[in-house]
Amino acid sequence: MRKGLVAAALVVLAAAVVVSAAVARPTAVAASQQADCTSVSLGFLGPLTGPAAFIGNEQLSWLRFAVQKYNAQRNTQFEVALGDTELKAPVARRVARRFVGDRDIMAVIGGSESQAVRVSGNLFEAAKLASISGSATAVDLTKQRPYGTFFRTVPNDSIQGPTVVNYVSRNLKADNVVVIDSQDDYSVPLAKAVAGKLRARGVDVSRESVSADDTDFSSIVANVGGNVDVVVFATQVATAANTLSNQLREQGKRAVVFGTDGAYSPSQYKPRTGYVSAFAPDLHSVRAARGLVREYNRFSKNAVFGTFGPPTYMAGWVAMDAIRKACARGGATRAEVTRNVRSTNIPSVLGGRTRFDKKGDLFGGGTFTVFKITSGKYAVAT
Amino acid sequence: MDWDKLVQLLVNGVTLGSVYALVALGFSMVYGILKLLNLAHGDVLMVGAFIGWGVLGWLGGSQDPSVAVWLLIVLMVLAAMAGCGFLGVAIERFAYRPLRRAPRIAPLISALGVSFFIQNSVLLLFGANFQSYDSFDLVDVEVGVHWGPLNVWILRIVVFAAAAVMMLGLWILVTRSKLGKAMRATSFDREAAAMMGIDVDRVIVKTFFIGSALAGAAGVLVGLVFGSINHFMGFNYGLKGFTAAVVGGIGSIPGALLGGLVIGLAESFSAAYISSTFQDLIVFSLLIVVMLVRPTGLLGRADIKKV
Repeated sequence: MRKGLVAAALVVLAAAVVVSAAVARPTAVAASQQADCTSVSLGFLGPLTGPAAFIGNEQLSWLRFAVQKYNAQRNTQFEVALGDTELKAPVARRVARRFVGDRDIMAVIGGSESQAVRVSGNLFEAAKLASISGSATAVDLTKQRPYGTFFRTVPNDSIQGPTVVNYVSRNLKADNVVVIDSQDDYSVPLAKAVAGKLRARGVDVSRESVSADDTDFSSIVANVGGNVDVVVFATQVATAANTLSNQLREQGKRAVVFGTDGAYSPSQYKPRTGYVSAFAPDLHSVRAARGLVREYNRFSKNAVFGTFGPPTYMAGWVAMDAIRKACARGGATRAEVTRNVRSTNIPSVLGGRTRFDKKGDLFGGGTFTVFKITSGKYAVAT
Repeated sequence: MDWDKLVQLLVNGVTLGSVYALVALGFSMVYGILKLLNLAHGDVLMVGAFIGWGVLGWLGGSQDPSVAVWLLIVLMVLAAMAGCGFLGVAIERFAYRPLRRAPRIAPLISALGVSFFIQNSVLLLFGANFQSYDSFDLVDVEVGVHWGPLNVWILRIVVFAAAAVMMLGLWILVTRSKLGKAMRATSFDREAAAMMGIDVDRVIVKTFFIGSALAGAAGVLVGLVFGSINHFMGFNYGLKGFTAAVVGGIGSIPGALLGGLVIGLAESFSAAYISSTFQDLIVFSLLIVVMLVRPTGLLGRADIKKV
């Protein structure tokens, strides 16, 4: 019996090795390999399940909307290939390998989260595969241009950090602040930068850290003193910001929560009083975008959306434009597509134009907006 | 020493510990009778949380409930207990009973399969987004005990009281009722119990029903106190509940209570005084220490074996 079990285990192990090798091999697909452009996909790399599923699902819905609209307008046949990161870096890397090996995928939309970009950037660069994120904001993803084929349609945290600091110190006039990170590549540098800049302005700052999987913050809240004015929470999980805000009230603390861009979700982060920064305007309140919002509502059957979807819509549009141009002569390579993405200059639904600088950031940097939330209702504060 | 903070952490730890204790009871009961680790138990808790959420929505939601809040909470708990009780019976009937005479690894793998099956079923049914009980709209945070700087929200008291009542009820059932006697006999020696005329299958089914019902109640309590629920929440609560059962002494009801409280308090204090980064490390270190010093758990007893 024991021998049988060992043999079975060995068979399973061998099968696992073969499968892993098969999954790993596709990275060898040559970047110069030409696609015939008859069946072209955009890979979507984002969290479709897990604590930040609301981000990925909103982005995917807007990407599908963009694809449907683009196909109808330009008579193209683009499709979307799904890649769920579960908000876990190792999973994101596995998905990235799959995308690299899939010759139908000519551009990737994402990674949605900074840690996904960090683990996939080198793979995509080696395959000359353009990746365009509509939400990854960590500064170092573009600072030294570590990933040559990475672009983003949102401003980065070098703008978010000062925006949060200015609002907390000038508008809220906070003297005592707690800054919390979520132990990931996005939140730790952002929290560190915010804490440093607040200290430089003479604000008393203490630091805390929670896991992205935490659902109970009552022990952290017990550490928040009664004299604390604001808790800045760098997170990608809106429900976590909501729970933190409620538990502060539960324990009689007067501090309000200031969530960073990952917390923007009118359906999940709805404190009695709170703040959140966002890398894009809420299209519901942009007059010029009314038609687009109506179209999207029809497409999605009135799905709730916030600020995550529209930048991904733009990322999709940029990618499809670049692929279509590359395919104009009948075939295209990923390198050609990446070159076309680099030279993009198209009007943006978010206002202005979408254009990238040498590092892959939005040309001109862009701005972050601060929203004040009162009884769950969001209103622009800056 | 900051006494206010200490007492607040005690309250947080006891709330969390009460939930872990309820989960630990389910593990203990099933292990006591079948010597089986029901790895799907945490997912039963998750299903309970979703049943409670469904009842909450059906009865008007947190902001506008169509019945009194206390009645709503009672209905949520009862529905979750009933739903999870039957789910537990179904799991036993289809996943474990056919493997009762198989090597011990087989039901363990079956349990893992059930766990994935439940998780993915809920994912398909309700989607990947976190769902919220919005319990702060249901019961205002001002309602509760406010004693100086100490603030205890009424729902935390409800969680502790509900857990205590259920554990007391289970204790009475096991020690004073005919079913309890049959459960103890089956746990001691299944074959001998059968020879004495006890319907062992029926006892096992009832054990699964009760253990799963407790997990269902725990799911609703988690949703009420911590607000958000999701399809993979069962893994964490299952793991901590199992740890609590082992620390307290698997198979022991008071042990499950003690283990739950120990784990809850350890998490609460380590997150506040050391770092939330290390809270799991501390909890599982505690488990290792207890296993080294007292392998049967704090209140567990070693099996007596005939030689």
